Amino acid sequence: MSGSAARPVRGPAVAVTGLGMITPAGNDTGSTWDGVCAGVSYARTLPELRGCAVDFACTVDGIDLAAAVGGRTAFRMGRYVKLALIAAREAVADAGLDPAAWDGTRVAVVVGTSSGGSASVADQAVALDRHGPEATSPAGILLTIPNMPAAEIAVSMGATGPSMAPCTACSSGVTALSVARDLLAAGQCDIAVAGATEAMICPLAMTGFARSGVAATAGPGVDPAVLCRPFAADRAGLVMGEGAAIMVLEREKDARARGAVPRALVAGAGSTTDAHHPTSPHPSGAVAQRAVEAALRDAGWQAGDVGHVNAHGTSTPLNDATEAALISRVFPHRPSVTAPKGVLGHCMGAAGAIEAGLTVLTLQHGVVPPIANLDVPAAEFDIDCVTKQPLRRRIDRAVSHSFGFGGHNAVLALQRA
Amino acid sequence: MSEIHPRITEVLTGTFKVPAAEILPEATMDSLEMDSLAVAEFAVIIKETLGIDTDSDALLKGATLAEITAFLDDAATAVGVGR
Repeated sequence: MSGSAARPVRGPAVAVTGLGMITPAGNDTGSTWDGVCAGVSYARTLPELRGCAVDFACTVDGIDLAAAVGGRTAFRMGRYVKLALIAAREAVADAGLDPAAWDGTRVAVVVGTSSGGSASVADQAVALDRHGPEATSPAGILLTIPNMPAAEIAVSMGATGPSMAPCTACSSGVTALSVARDLLAAGQCDIAVAGATEAMICPLAMTGFARSGVAATAGPGVDPAVLCRPFAADRAGLVMGEGAAIMVLEREKDARARGAVPRALVAGAGSTTDAHHPTSPHPSGAVAQRAVEAALRDAGWQAGDVGHVNAHGTSTPLNDATEAALISRVFPHRPSVTAPKGVLGHCMGAAGAIEAGLTVLTLQHGVVPPIANLDVPAAEFDIDCVTKQPLRRRIDRAVSHSFGFGGHNAVLALQRA
Repeated sequence: MSEIHPRITEVLTGTFKVPAAEILPEATMDSLEMDSLAVAEFAVIIKETLGIDTDSDALLKGATLAEITAFLDDAATAVGVGR
């Protein structure tokens, strides 16, 4: 960090007072945390992807989403919307808030997604082509547009403050949390319901991923659960996941005044754009590094303050090489590194929010989950990866990286409450 | 009161999560809290599964489930039961 760089004026401290998650590891925060700490991948072959070049992924399972959403409205919600609403309800209850009682005019909803309802676009296109316009759903547009998670959460909770859906590919979750923090700092709201959601596992999207060359592929007889191995020498591509994570953010002063106990604090955020290539990170990692440094500066930290890094760690050859080099340059003191995509797959737009949520739990519980399928990091990576077993260690400050398709780099600095 | 067409019950409970206890012959889409979008979706499902066109504005909105049942039964007779 440059010592001469102007220190930005820092806003009020922002607390995470509620957390909700629905992921391949579990349908709530507790089961997700247990599953991620177990360090075993949830990737499996899926019958609905039969015939696709990549016929496996990590999926949310064991829950009737429509029943969980309930009421007369589930039919108009795509899977990505249902996941977000379920996570949002958990987060708000976790924060000890009651949407029937709060002042909705002061509640913002910021929920990102990368792909929105692309799976429904495919379904509706098939219905139109095969059976004509009358076979398409009158809710067809609602099933596809990316703002609907934010909108349906607002409807469900009577939240009439600002709402929006940041879309920065795999960084959407971190972008959403950063924007929500800014809204709180600017006094645009008193409560922000923020995070991200993704559910794009369908033959069309999986075919696209296979053809793009970033997806891991399974040879005959290979268990898909061994394929996502962030930072391993033999890593060979990403494995798709899905899910949602939503947080309730409040200014710490307000949260404490109402007696809420923060799970953690959002201390800083930084974002930059590679402006280089749609899928390849800039090989120097210099622009992504500036996002990390911006988050540290925003938090008022020195790099040496950071005790833990939640890496983007996609298990692609290029990302992990660039990111490992970046981590060892910025953090030569070797903080612990984990990469939850080994367990959960790459939950795309939701990944940054899910991993920020896991980082909050790391700070809260003093536990770092291990990276699935990793014995030791590749020899050329000088980073301290947590493997095999959860690491038990008090951690006061952590960063979470998201580096998205399109070159969107977004980093959160999170602090023990 | 008359019976309710089984497909009506199936769609209302399955797709729209209406509690079975509320599905009574005298119930209307309004009384079941089915908004215009839900009613339009209901009409699409009926068309796709029974092959019967219903006018979601004129027929479904104000009609009781008994009346909708009668309409479906008549239409099914006209087009040939069971497609």
